[in-house]
Amino acid sequence: MSNVLRPYLAAVRSTLTAALTLENFSSQVVERHNKPEVETGGSKEVLLNPLIISRNENERVLIESSINSIRLSIKIKQADEIERILCHKFTRFMMQRAENFIVLRRKPVPGYDISFLITNTHSETMLKHKIVDFIIQFMEEVDREISEMKLSLNARARIVAETYLAAIAT
Amino acid sequence: MILLEAHNVIIKTTLADKLNKPSTLEVSFVDYDGVRFRLSTPERKTLLLLSMHIRCWDELVKYGALDVLRREYGSLLRDQAEAGFNVSMEIDLEQVPAGAEDREAFINSIALFKRNALAAPFEQGFKNQKELEAANAGQGELMQIHYRDEEAIYIQAADDRVTVIFSTVFRDETDRILGKVFLQEFVDARRLPALQNAPQVLYSNRDPPLEIRHLNLPKSEDIGYVTFVLFPRHFSNSSVTATTISHVQLFRDYLHYHIKCSKAYMHSRMRHRAAEFQKVLNRAKQENTSTEKKTVSGRTMVAR
Amino acid sequence: MDVAFRKIDIDAFDDEVLREPDLYEEDPRGPAQALDEAKQKQVAVRSALARNDIVDALSIVLDNPPYGPNVEEAKNVSLQILLTILNTTKSTEISTVIKSLSMDARDILMKYLYKGMGKPGWGDISGSVLLGWHEKLTEIAGTGCIVRTMTDRRTV
Repeated sequence: MSNVLRPYLAAVRSTLTAALTLENFSSQVVERHNKPEVETGGSKEVLLNPLIISRNENERVLIESSINSIRLSIKIKQADEIERILCHKFTRFMMQRAENFIVLRRKPVPGYDISFLITNTHSETMLKHKIVDFIIQFMEEVDREISEMKLSLNARARIVAETYLAAIAT
Repeated sequence: MILLEAHNVIIKTTLADKLNKPSTLEVSFVDYDGVRFRLSTPERKTLLLLSMHIRCWDELVKYGALDVLRREYGSLLRDQAEAGFNVSMEIDLEQVPAGAEDREAFINSIALFKRNALAAPFEQGFKNQKELEAANAGQGELMQIHYRDEEAIYIQAADDRVTVIFSTVFRDETDRILGKVFLQEFVDARRLPALQNAPQVLYSNRDPPLEIRHLNLPKSEDIGYVTFVLFPRHFSNSSVTATTISHVQLFRDYLHYHIKCSKAYMHSRMRHRAAEFQKVLNRAKQENTSTEKKTVSGRTMVAR
Repeated sequence: MDVAFRKIDIDAFDDEVLREPDLYEEDPRGPAQALDEAKQKQVAVRSALARNDIVDALSIVLDNPPYGPNVEEAKNVSLQILLTILNTTKSTEISTVIKSLSMDARDILMKYLYKGMGKPGWGDISGSVLLGWHEKLTEIAGTGCIVRTMTDRRTV
């Protein structure tokens, strides 16, 4: 892990660990319903203060917590048009497979690129610290993946252009 | 395979096959840019009829496509094209040259049917340049070949060069951005010492280049214009001319082919990466620890 | 048929509905008084910083900070003072400084750190400085400190 990224990820890790104190909670608004309160937003008393962890304007994580669920949204670094399109493609690819990634939300929260929704059921059936590990590893690798894809695109473009021009260079 | 081949593989393999073992046949197939082919044996097994349909045929004829085809194929070319097609030729398998090498060359030249038809405006452009150079003035006619629905090739000769402009449409935003990366590399690659002699490549987005600005083409963010500036050294002798034409006319397909390849590659990477993440997440899942519970008398408890 | 009535939020008309102010007590000081106090602190902090006494400066700003709605101006001044302190502290001293703070002061410091990270680009906020402090503070005060930031509705 690069040294610049470490404090950022450490802050996300500790905040997420702190937020992952969830319990079962039935809806106060509709009888016999049990919904992630952070999504419905129906009862103010079970919502906690949303926290933002940021490195700069373009890289931040929003953690919204409630009594039975937390929502974590990531804004991924996008330096230029290519990174923006690659990031969009990658997050979309992941979100289309949201049913496999149990904690992944199908749509990101506005202003962010990808969101996770962790409910008390998840924290009960899965190991809490491993969920945290997953999120952290995701954040760590998504940046690397995007920059690698960008490099490989540029490399391919260069080879393609050189081969073509070499064929007609006389 | 990085470079695209100018010949049509289906024509090539089918011909080689039928030369060994003639049989009745009827195949319809396509090539780049929506060119349709039909290869059939209407009369007898040894007489093949190859027909081609190109959407910009009328324009090609105007720029001398028939002359080029007649030069290449001579008497093989039929006066009357098959219905629904622009041009047809008859290949009598009994008249094919006998030697292995000659035969190979013959098949190859047939497989270049489309390439030769599309080569006409280029040859015309090169000829114009020679004339203009001799006259030492002016610019030649701007030839337009609308070889696809919304995309066209423009060729114009001047006294010291021939300019070839491609307009290309990028259907979605991803293509547009990837296309930009590729085209930028085409512009940059020429800085390499080894490629100093390559044609100059210019790229503009949205605004058409000066040569075709008067045509009032629709302006849009999705359209890119690529200009190749061919100098006399690129068509100095017949073999150089042939390679130049073959490659330049396939430029648009080459570009889009590689854009799609990149997307496919990225997709496979993402698939791999998603599988990796899946593994990490699976580590969070608890092992199924519930053991079979039994009563004192030995019966199994079953959850209802 | 007119169906607009279906969109009326009938809960808002319920007498027992929970409103934002019911969740916490408002800052007893009014906006003007809070701003006054914040400005006084600013002066005190400057003199403490001049003496190079980071702990004292932090204690001053973290003592009884303005909170709740209506006191935005005072909050901004306080945040500004705090950022000055954070930015001037050497990274090697952070741990010692935090250790000499009281529990309450640590909690409030954590609140300010999250507030600062919530507005990247505002004032002279530097993400890496805040993250550095956050890391040290979590090490010393534990995750409980973060939980208290999340649950305490008296936002700074």
